[in-house]
Amino acid sequence: MNARIDFHIHSCLSPCAALEMSPRAIIAGAKEKGLDCIALADHGCVENLPAFHDACAEAGLPCLYGLEATSSEEVHTLCLFDQLDPALKFGRMIYDSIMDYPNDPERFGMQPIVTVDDDVLNFADKLLFAATDISFFDLVPMALDAGALCIPSHIDREYLGAIAQIGFLPDLPYDAVEVVSPNPPAGAEKWPIVHFSDAHHPDQIGRRFTEVETEAFTVPALRAAFHKLLPA
Amino acid sequence: MKISELESLGFTCLQDQFEDIDLVGGYTSDLLSDVMANLKEGQVLITIQAHKNTIAVASLSGASAVVFCHGRPAADDVLDAAAAEGIAVFNTPDNQFDATVKVSRALRA
Repeated sequence: MNARIDFHIHSCLSPCAALEMSPRAIIAGAKEKGLDCIALADHGCVENLPAFHDACAEAGLPCLYGLEATSSEEVHTLCLFDQLDPALKFGRMIYDSIMDYPNDPERFGMQPIVTVDDDVLNFADKLLFAATDISFFDLVPMALDAGALCIPSHIDREYLGAIAQIGFLPDLPYDAVEVVSPNPPAGAEKWPIVHFSDAHHPDQIGRRFTEVETEAFTVPALRAAFHKLLPA
Repeated sequence: MKISELESLGFTCLQDQFEDIDLVGGYTSDLLSDVMANLKEGQVLITIQAHKNTIAVASLSGASAVVFCHGRPAADDVLDAAAAEGIAVFNTPDNQFDATVKVSRALRA
């Protein structure tokens, strides 16, 4: 099947995202844009994944579960699972390793943990865009060992991507690299290039997406599908 | 040294809605986690991280001003956030080292 995927979407839990980014609103936006599979990837926290799981099941929309982890060098990396439980386990380990810096809701945003019906259950305490104490060089194998797809985010952006923060793109076994501009930076062509929206607001869902030829929306099938994006 | 005197160092003021108080020092870093841990109230932050999170961190840490090096421009959302917090924003073609030396000399003059 030929599928349009957007694996970089933030919910209201991310401090920089709009409060309207509830799981059901994200799915409505994804359906409007004709996306076939989406992933929720909040900064450093997976506590909105259960509601996202329920909302996707209700809507019959295939999805992945993940987060965008921030390494000690402040490199953002998508870690995406095809099952909820390992995503929760890995994500909670990441949250525990975030520096202990409290969120200030007035300055940064509220970080609400919500139910599928948009009821607020709680708020994440730590500032979620703060760095973990895990080096990018350790984070990548940790995510892969845990069974995730590992995709460094926006590697060509001036900040919070691997090249900006480290100075170069380390030679590690990523499943793909996310590029924002239409053209990949030099050296990135060694990995499959994917484009995702990094949506923080409903209007942004699907503004960038990738088309893949895949048999299923599982980690192994998507890994194989990404491989087909490499130049022959 | 008043915040507005940063202009005399060749820095360009991008956000001028601030109270022109004395700077008590500076902190230079491109890692926000480091800024969060170490920036002190009343200091100027010197960095190349010209994005909105930088303003949020500067605000929570009590920074009075931010200088973006290498001529990095600031997007409207960055300047709006800084205006809302009363944080002065400047940029300079200097790198972080040269900008820091200039600020340090001016503070000690």
